[in-house]
Amino acid sequence: MKKIFLLFIFFFTTGFPQAVKQNEINLFSPANIKKFADYLFCSNDYLRAALEYEKYFSLYPNDSVKFKIATAYSKIGDYDKSALMFDSFTKSSELFPYAKMEYFKSLFQEKNYFRLRSSILNIDSINNFRFAYQAKELYYYSYLFTIDTLPPESIYLAHFDKTDIRQIKNFYEWKTDPPHKSPLLAALLSAVIPGAGKFYVDQVADGITALVATASLGYLSYTDFKAGHYFRGWLFGGLAAGFYAGNIYGSAAAAQIYNVKIQFDFENSIGVFINAKNFFTPGINFCK
Amino acid sequence: MKITVTIFLLTLICTAQNLFAQNEFSRQYNLALKFYDEGKFYDAVTECKRLIFFDADSQYTYCAYMLMGKSYKMGAKFSDAILNFTNAELNAKTSDEVFQSKIEIIRANILRRTTDRALQLLDELDDDKNFSSRTAGINYWRGWTYIFADKWKKAAVSFSKIDSCKQLEKLCRQVDDDKYSETFSYLISHFIPGAGQIYTGNYVSGILSLGWNVLWGYVTINSFAANRIFDGLIELNFLWLRFYNGNLQNAQKFAVYENQKIANKALYFLQFQYKGLKP
Repeated sequence: MKKIFLLFIFFFTTGFPQAVKQNEINLFSPANIKKFADYLFCSNDYLRAALEYEKYFSLYPNDSVKFKIATAYSKIGDYDKSALMFDSFTKSSELFPYAKMEYFKSLFQEKNYFRLRSSILNIDSINNFRFAYQAKELYYYSYLFTIDTLPPESIYLAHFDKTDIRQIKNFYEWKTDPPHKSPLLAALLSAVIPGAGKFYVDQVADGITALVATASLGYLSYTDFKAGHYFRGWLFGGLAAGFYAGNIYGSAAAAQIYNVKIQFDFENSIGVFINAKNFFTPGINFCK
Repeated sequence: MKITVTIFLLTLICTAQNLFAQNEFSRQYNLALKFYDEGKFYDAVTECKRLIFFDADSQYTYCAYMLMGKSYKMGAKFSDAILNFTNAELNAKTSDEVFQSKIEIIRANILRRTTDRALQLLDELDDDKNFSSRTAGINYWRGWTYIFADKWKKAAVSFSKIDSCKQLEKLCRQVDDDKYSETFSYLISHFIPGAGQIYTGNYVSGILSLGWNVLWGYVTINSFAANRIFDGLIELNFLWLRFYNGNLQNAQKFAVYENQKIANKALYFLQFQYKGLKP
């Protein structure tokens, strides 16, 4: 009886904690590292996800994890790294066409348009490349971001989807004939009629102010000299000259600012469009 | 007898092994804590996230969220810190944990300068009967909230309610006494241009301001006196009023600037020499 009791105590005290211990998980086992990385990836915590996937990848390399690492780097803006990884997929991989398109996307985001175009031209050597059409769209769209001469309109537009033609046509027209204002012309106009340069760059209120201020101060200076009030004559004359010269300079500067602003608006528009289109890249959703 | 002793010894050894075997989650928490202590806040957050992800029974969820919040706070990511402290509060199991997490939220709000939110949370704690014994702590953080909101007089009032905070109370009162009145500086400059600048100790600027106003005032009045009304109006508008208005703005700006210098000196002291708890 005594022995049975002692055996019971032995198994209870040693077996129970062992059973609990068996339920304990190794947080750093490869499977759990991947599980955690997947969770981070789908929570948009891409840097941490990339680092966790890399740990797993060093033990069990596979294309799916490599794709996720590259995607994570792309998401955090490390396009250099993502391009390198996407470019390393072999043609035998199922993910090859997706990786290739993501590679193009990374080059585009890296603003490496020259390499992008030469890489896209090379895909002709790949038989039946699944996303050849989208790659060509990206190829031609990149022209909007560079100073390179665009192909003729009809050839250019022929490479885009019909639903996008209208928008692309607007971009093409803006790029080939941007509605810039000439700083020299703005300055000349203001030299002839104070404020006219401001009118030219659509700053009507500034133009009226410049005209009224210069004319009033000039008139005051003239009448003061005429009445023998030399101090005030010089004072108003100096102010009038300052306004006049300032307005000429201001008009030229305003034309430059106008050009920068519309250039910024244009680049913003083409950036928003390509982002909305996900860079003509199909992408894979790993977080369904 | 021999068998009995053997079984007893085996039992003892195995039990000891299991009792002292560290739980995986506890080890994980300690790992995160180690990173935090070493100043590796990014790694601390990663390990806390891992702990929360695998800790299905939420044994360490509260602690992990608190540590994550503190790590984000150390990285000056106050909004992320508040989010994690709020999660900690949601996972708190005792009223002490609730209080601690709420105080951490308040401290992060103080540093983020979202004063209204900090005060709102302090009022909530004040009204909560569960924390009626913690009034001193609540007043302490209220005082700090006011310090960071540049309301030194109110801060002094809050600290005066705590016996052990006489040093802070004295400091806040001193700062409040040393500061210049922005309204007074602005108003006296209406009557005597440059007086506001002189009041805040900026004598050169004050005299220059007075000189410009006297000059353009004289030129303007002279024009009106000579019946050159248009001249007078232009001089009044483009010269005298421009300098007069500039004088008013300048007087106020100097008062603000000088007050900032006084407040910054006090904050510098609090940051580097004050030994008590800080936000």
